[in-house]
Amino acid sequence: MNAEASADNIIEVRDLVVQYGDHTVINEISFNVRRGEIFVILGGSGCGKSTLLRNLVGLMKPSKGTIAINGEDFTAMKDSERSLVRKHMGMCFQGSALFNSMTVGDNVALPLREHTQLEESTIEIMTRIKLELVGLGEFADYLPSELSGGMKKRAGLARAMAMDPEIIFYDEPSAGLDPIVAAGLDELIRQMQNTFNVTSIVVTHELESVKMIADRVCMLEKGHIIGIGSLEEIRNIDHPYVKRFFARKSQPESASDNTYFQTMTGETKTT
Amino acid sequence: MTLFFGYVGRTTLNSLFSFALVCQLMLDTLNWLFLQPLLGKGLRWRSAIEQFVEFGARSMPIVGLITFLVGAIIALQSAYTLEQWGATRFIADLVGISALRELAPLMAAILVTGRNGSAIAAEIGTMKVAEEIDALEVMGLNPVKFLVVPKFLAMVLALPCITVLAMFIMIAGGFFVSVFVIDVDAAVYIEQTMGALKGKDLLTGMVKSFFFALVICWVGIYRGFQVEGGAEGVGRQTTSSVVTSIFLIIIADLVWTILFYFL
Ligand SMILES: Nc1ncnc2c1ncn2[C@@H]1O[C@H](COP(=O)(O)OP(=O)(O)O)[C@@H](O)[C@H]1O
Ligand SMILES: [Mg+2]
Repeated sequence: MNAEASADNIIEVRDLVVQYGDHTVINEISFNVRRGEIFVILGGSGCGKSTLLRNLVGLMKPSKGTIAINGEDFTAMKDSERSLVRKHMGMCFQGSALFNSMTVGDNVALPLREHTQLEESTIEIMTRIKLELVGLGEFADYLPSELSGGMKKRAGLARAMAMDPEIIFYDEPSAGLDPIVAAGLDELIRQMQNTFNVTSIVVTHELESVKMIADRVCMLEKGHIIGIGSLEEIRNIDHPYVKRFFARKSQPESASDNTYFQTMTGETKTT
Repeated sequence: MTLFFGYVGRTTLNSLFSFALVCQLMLDTLNWLFLQPLLGKGLRWRSAIEQFVEFGARSMPIVGLITFLVGAIIALQSAYTLEQWGATRFIADLVGISALRELAPLMAAILVTGRNGSAIAAEIGTMKVAEEIDALEVMGLNPVKFLVVPKFLAMVLALPCITVLAMFIMIAGGFFVSVFVIDVDAAVYIEQTMGALKGKDLLTGMVKSFFFALVICWVGIYRGFQVEGGAEGVGRQTTSSVVTSIFLIIIADLVWTILFYFL
């Protein structure tokens, strides 16, 4: 796979292994993300996409392997250094993760208030700009609970954009949204890349969305990478899982009596 | 039998593990409460004051009502015995001493556990389930500084304040019953109360309420961070925060009662 080091890579992942207890979720994967691209991590539910993302932003420590961001090993950093790097990262969570006790405007303003010495009036203007960017200019004084699912996701994006990050991570941006709202969000992701040249790492299982946004796709199955490349290249990989995924075929029933037995006794996790 | 020892062993290990986690959390809090502000990292005063109002002022009506009633109950109960000796004026001593040394701190702590300890666990737990805690970390904001320290500060200041007021109200409850129901002379009751109470009684109550405050916010915070899974996890940890907290409050009460008895 194309995992050689280069100055063009904003993220370099090498031999990453992630485990929950004894359960290995990510198994020895390596890949690079190039500066300015939209890199999509595609895979079925439970294949470890969120887990991978949590490692990339440093919410979890991997069991093995390294993650380099702008050439610096993110996994080996002290907490203080890590929080410096994090100022250049934004993340959109699966459920938006807006702070429910604060208004949408305060949510977006929070990183600015905490990390910068800007005047309150400047912060207000910047907050408004970010909210306008995602089409929520009039909703600054609303509480998150008063917004629809799509609006919450967009507000989450505005908050992730607050500090003008270099990299934005998206965890299933279009999951749980109707096709029109989802398409709107995909457009926003493209727009962020075109306008601000941010690098985007998008985790998803929605093919429609991948078609719209992906520069490169990384196909993940059960913690292994099946392939990395353009959507066409991935589609043409001769692999049973890829074939099923693109044909929207269901998993064949348990391959052998043995795995069936294991499933019944709960010795292996299948989600 | 092996099952029993297995259970004991596992429970002990788990408790030790929780204890280590709690200690870690405590050190972190002290760091963000005392050390980091000195290094210019600031403290979230506004949030702390909001929480102080919530824990203190908003708890006061229910704490006031209940402690007044408890004061009245003790007065009546002691009258039942003391009347036989014609010593009803000593109701004042009994009510005053139990209010200061024991019942005002305890009642206030138990009510605040139910009202605020559970709310702390539920709030942190809900934030954890909704990935809000993760969001804080990704933004480079420390959850301990952001969430824990304000609650800690507010609770440690609020509970002793409520307790002092609760002491007065409980004595007022006793006074009310003694004067209007049992016919003790008001002046005598006041004089008797003043004579019975010493500085040490107040100190005992305050020390207890300080430790009760530590228990309430630690259990709430710890249980909140323990939440796994969805809404169900929040419910489970919230319930168990109340039970654990009341249990530990009684233990702390016992320890301090013993210590102050011999001191
Ligand atoms: N906190 C956790 N503890 C133990 N196992 C977990 C935890 N979170 C996720 N897993 C397991 O890791 C696997 C991958 O989960 P996840 O990364 O959330 O998948 P995805 O986001 O691709 O749907 C699943 O099998 C899940 O059961
Ligand atoms: Mg996921």
